[in-house]
Amino acid sequence: MRQLWAKYKYRFLVFISVFGPATIAAIADNDAAGVATYSLAGAKFGYSILFILLFVTVLLAITQEMGVRTAAITGKGLGDLIRERHGVRVAFLVFLLLLIANMGSIIANFSALKTVAHMFNLPVIPLVIIVIVAAFLFISKGDYKTNQRIFLFGTILYLSYIISAFKTFPDWGKAITSLVTPVEIKLSKEFIFASIAVLGTTITPWGQFFVNSFVVDKKIQPEKLKYSQLETYFGAFLTDFFSFFMIVATASTLFVHKISLISGEEAALAIRPFAGELASILFGLGLLNAAIMGIIIISLTTSYAFSEFFGFSGSLDDPYERGRFFYTLFLLQLIVAALFVIFPFISLFKIVFFTQSLNAVLLPIIFYFLLKITNNKDLMGSYTNSKDRNYIVIASSVIIIFASIFVLISSIFKL
Amino acid sequence: MIYFSELKGKKVYTKDQVGVGTLEDLIFLASETPKITKLIIRDLKENKIIVPIEYLNKINRNITLEKDFNLSELSENELYLVKNILDKQIIDLKGNKIVRVNDIAIQDKDGFYIAGVDISPFGILRWLRLEKITAKLLSFFPFAFSAEFLSWADIHPLELTRGQVKLKKEEKRLEKLFPEDLADYLEKTNVTNANKILKILDEKFAADVIGNLNINYQTSLFKQFNLDRCAKIITLIDPDEAVDVLLAMSQKKREQIIELLPDLKKKEIKALIRLSRTPIGELLTTEYLAVQPKDTVSHVMSKIKNETTEFSYFSAIYVLNEKNQLIGVFGPHDLLLQEQSGLVYKFMTQNIIVIHLTTPVEIAVKKMLKYKLSALPVIDMEKQILGIVTIDDVTEYLLEKIK
Repeated sequence: MRQLWAKYKYRFLVFISVFGPATIAAIADNDAAGVATYSLAGAKFGYSILFILLFVTVLLAITQEMGVRTAAITGKGLGDLIRERHGVRVAFLVFLLLLIANMGSIIANFSALKTVAHMFNLPVIPLVIIVIVAAFLFISKGDYKTNQRIFLFGTILYLSYIISAFKTFPDWGKAITSLVTPVEIKLSKEFIFASIAVLGTTITPWGQFFVNSFVVDKKIQPEKLKYSQLETYFGAFLTDFFSFFMIVATASTLFVHKISLISGEEAALAIRPFAGELASILFGLGLLNAAIMGIIIISLTTSYAFSEFFGFSGSLDDPYERGRFFYTLFLLQLIVAALFVIFPFISLFKIVFFTQSLNAVLLPIIFYFLLKITNNKDLMGSYTNSKDRNYIVIASSVIIIFASIFVLISSIFKL
Repeated sequence: MIYFSELKGKKVYTKDQVGVGTLEDLIFLASETPKITKLIIRDLKENKIIVPIEYLNKINRNITLEKDFNLSELSENELYLVKNILDKQIIDLKGNKIVRVNDIAIQDKDGFYIAGVDISPFGILRWLRLEKITAKLLSFFPFAFSAEFLSWADIHPLELTRGQVKLKKEEKRLEKLFPEDLADYLEKTNVTNANKILKILDEKFAADVIGNLNINYQTSLFKQFNLDRCAKIITLIDPDEAVDVLLAMSQKKREQIIELLPDLKKKEIKALIRLSRTPIGELLTTEYLAVQPKDTVSHVMSKIKNETTEFSYFSAIYVLNEKNQLIGVFGPHDLLLQEQSGLVYKFMTQNIIVIHLTTPVEIAVKKMLKYKLSALPVIDMEKQILGIVTIDDVTEYLLEKIK
């Protein structure tokens, strides 16, 4: 044992030193919208939808790895690269789309926060204010290390879904077989839709931007790329490991008892009669945690992108004075989103719908840039996509792009 | 001055209206004087061709080349405008991110060279073709918005070749700059600091720099120098400037310095000072038109219609910033050549010939003749305009004196 430790000690320490960004970026893809979608899918299609998870995990790992690789090799974020290679006009347009889409996603997360507040009988407005103030203080005062620790702690809180799932006493055998073999899948229009929705909430434009910026901010050196890539795969696995339990929890209760959900946020309350008080509370707390993680990370993504596109200093390690645009934009997004949720003068449902459509437009654009960058020898040197990998990456991108366009068109024509 | 955002994508023709392609990029010399040497044109077959700037005939709605032009290649020490500067991150000496290069200003008088980089949001709006409308909207607000430049003198040309736009604020490198640039830079630091920098320069260069400083600053600098150094610098700078500086000092110090001058210089300066007994203030008129740098041409036109009807003399329009300091000038002819929506700061002349209240009338006349100007603005220590002196009043005064 000691010999083994001595042999791998160095590698283990390097791994720990780069650990963080990829895992956090992947986990953040399970924001409140993600949790809601998984709950809904589990309630409607039961264990059969689990089959899609394996596929989502692979796609998530592949796309996030591209982001980690470009960030570590070039030392630049996606925003930097788009601005430098495509000029002001393209950069401005992409930033504008990202800003609006992210705003919508933050509103969706605040709205989930509101639902949880109602569930636990907490006053909404004070809770929202506390979240905003605390988030702003930690982001603006804390350095990268502190914030990374807080995010990793948030990651651990997803464990509540595991306990919650165990409390529902699911049929584990069936769950695991469904994961690897297509059991009881009825290829209906709804099933395809749900699969695409799951894919769409997990692989997002902001997720691609965030992983780049967050790796750059950690200043990971090219020679440690191997370890970061390893972490990316681990992060993708962990994300869908938690998703597995979310689906299991609703599948073994709501699906089995044929109870339909109107929205995913209500899943925590709906499982109470079958799984008991503790499972319900844990499920709710999980959603609360996911919403807060989502709010902070998506808002942070826009701030990073703004700094990159327009060249301002933007790092969690910056003192407030130097990074004031970065921090102000972070705060501003939280306040505006909170106002939308507290005073819902536009239907939240419409906002969420609009955000999904916008994300569907943005995602192909981002993959276009990402593929161009990862195949550019000037930028990536010997780290360009290898031929085999390029086929996989292009195939995955095409699948994601088709999926998002499919959702967009079908929602426009209300199929 | 033109912006690169206005040039990029312009159609290129030869003099006899044969289409060549569209302008894609420019090539410049990465040196202290960033001269633009070549144009990169995307021709009609989508190939990139390089044409030396010597074949450029004129730039207006389109770019016109000479009839027979040769192609060229990138040579040593040359860089691309788009690839090496535009949109790049600007960092300071410590590597902190400052802002990005939003646009590039190109000086188009006496050859083409890079004047500086625009780092303001206006640089972005210009690419989006939203600059004019935004400027119009903002003019309803009481705050002043305008383009913000980083002078070429502040950028490390060497770092550009390494793909970095790095600022330099280091004393050792200052000597390679132009005296005008250095003067601008020195005016922003305090006098003790400026003195320290001037000490490491050679005397001729230092004198050039001092000659380019404003009178207020010159006076405080001379207070820091010992008499020998003062005398040396006075000998090196333009006699007109020298008299201006000397007249702003106390009489005792002035006389001490003049005693130290070489004989020939002493005579010249003394003669000039004797002339200065007539204060320019008596010839001063406040009948002049002042506008702001971000006024539009049509706004200036209407101002001329409303405010200058009573004027007996009208030859130049002066541009003042929000501190009322004189920052530019242009004539009615310059104005008529512009489009209605053009902005003043884009076509005004920034290099202004000025005089002070202490300037002798004879020197004022000399300056008018030398620069072919029919009126000169008189400014005070803070560069604020006090009035103008016109050639009519000056000649009238001289005629009377002859009688």
